[in-house]
Amino acid sequence: MQGNQVGAAESGKLQELTKKQLLELEREKKSKLQRWMDLVIWLLPFLGGLAAVLEYTQIPDNSMNRNPNTYLGFLLILIVCYAAYCVVSVAALTKGNRDMIDQQRYRAPLFTALFLLFAIYDYLTLKTGILTQPFVPCLNFVLNAAWTDRAMLLDCTVHTLMLLFLGYFIGVAVGLVTGITCGYSKRCRYWVDPIIKFLGPIPTSTWIPIMMVIASSLFGGAVFIIALGSWFAVTVAAMTGISNVDAEYFEAAKTLGASNRQLVFRVAIPHAMPSIFQGCTQAMSSSCTAIMIAEMLGVKSGLGWYMNWSKSWASYDKMFAALFVICFIFTVVTKSLEAIKRHVLRWQVGVEK
Amino acid sequence: MNKTHVTLKLDNVSKGFAKIETDEVTHALDHITTTMESGEFISLVGPSGCGKSTILRLIAGLIQPTTGTLTVDGKVIEGPAPDRGMVFQKATLFPWLTVWDNIAFSLKMQGKLKGNEDKVENMIKIIGLEDFKDDYPAQLSGGMAQRVALVRSLINEPDILLLDEPLGALDAFTRMNMQDEILKIWQRKQQLAIMVTHDVDEAIYMGTRVLVMDAHPGRVIADITIDLPAPRDRSSQAFVAYRNDILNKLHFGGRNAS
Repeated sequence: MQGNQVGAAESGKLQELTKKQLLELEREKKSKLQRWMDLVIWLLPFLGGLAAVLEYTQIPDNSMNRNPNTYLGFLLILIVCYAAYCVVSVAALTKGNRDMIDQQRYRAPLFTALFLLFAIYDYLTLKTGILTQPFVPCLNFVLNAAWTDRAMLLDCTVHTLMLLFLGYFIGVAVGLVTGITCGYSKRCRYWVDPIIKFLGPIPTSTWIPIMMVIASSLFGGAVFIIALGSWFAVTVAAMTGISNVDAEYFEAAKTLGASNRQLVFRVAIPHAMPSIFQGCTQAMSSSCTAIMIAEMLGVKSGLGWYMNWSKSWASYDKMFAALFVICFIFTVVTKSLEAIKRHVLRWQVGVEK
Repeated sequence: MNKTHVTLKLDNVSKGFAKIETDEVTHALDHITTTMESGEFISLVGPSGCGKSTILRLIAGLIQPTTGTLTVDGKVIEGPAPDRGMVFQKATLFPWLTVWDNIAFSLKMQGKLKGNEDKVENMIKIIGLEDFKDDYPAQLSGGMAQRVALVRSLINEPDILLLDEPLGALDAFTRMNMQDEILKIWQRKQQLAIMVTHDVDEAIYMGTRVLVMDAHPGRVIADITIDLPAPRDRSSQAFVAYRNDILNKLHFGGRNAS
């Protein structure tokens, strides 16, 4: 490799070097041992998966286990997924794209750990009962419960998402309007500032008991509470974002013929976008908290309600199933928001060094 | 002669700023009266605090004079307009827009972009940044950013081009290159260009006329017409004579003081 580098320089072809070739040349050289280790680590998740399967099938159960194949199928699906990931990465590698396989190698220990975690959890619950059944149900129970009650779980998921997004979007939309107007107009800030100072420190969940008393429909009340929390976060963020726009941008835009309206929409708002997005992320996390509390306390549907309801029927497997669904959808929602943010704020790459 | 010949008149213009901490008033400009016309390249030179930037901001319409009037062809300046383009010391490119969109910004604001896309392309060609037109300002060097800022104002074909120390933040070599580039653009259209600088060499090299200013209160202490053929030789005797004359007026004269 060293010789190759010198060769390219000597033959005067350095100018024709592409970025990819350059990175390839300057990449830290790995020893043979390191490359072998990479390969082993890359394949390690298969070993982890195998361990989880063997643990489940070979060790005798401590308590009764109905439909034992669900968990096994789940493990096999995960292993197949990893195998498919391997195929895609190798295909990319043969086309000269190293990034994917490097990333997979980077993540492989985590995947392995996940399989081992499954195995340990199963051992502690189903196989030995160290974690007492059915209070801490093994994964097979949870998966079975999720599958048999899928219609209801889906219904609750839809309900939760509806409530979440309805409240969130109302809050964000109103928050953008008030935040932007207040950031721009001093008179508006004069009236809105006291409201924010007064209501701001109150956690959203405080409103729930009050809502249960005065709201005609609990759904409407929950939407209001979620919207209120989001409104607050977005208003404050948009207000600070807009009032922090450097005067020089306005001056430049004015000499370029921008009207007052355009100063708001073409200069102030784009400039405040990073701050606004920060507010949106914060609003989402406050909405997720508020919706769970609302569903557990009053609303008669949704995943929070489902968890509480299964607890009162001592169906702990269902409770855990709902917990996993909640974990999954909140992760998806947060990741999507993150992806939108990255796309909209792509101009920021390199701004903050 | 140029079709869009304009005359800019400053008549007894004064500008005071209220100080923030005390009850005093800063007299940034004190009774300035002068006339400038298309085809002139006017350098405003002087120590900081002499009000040279204030003059530019008044002409741009970003601020209003305390007393006196500024008129373009007899019409009082009431606010900023794209026919008085301004380039700032910081490039102030909009970081959320690409180079192309930054240059097109002004046309877009005036609803004139449609059908004029080739104007934008042409501006990009003038500054030689064809390869960077889809990049965001954060990826540009200081010199490139300032070039973009320059053509962003020029795309309106302003009658008056205001340059507020546009080269102040650049390194010496980029600076000299940009001086020639700006002169080339100005020579083509012969607008009225007014540039603020605190570099005496730059003022003489670029200007057809140099207004020497002094502070406390801000006022013009000399109005010198530079009678040298372009391109100017920074080391010629006449050039050095102008420099010594101006430095003397600013009380920085040492040797060769006359």
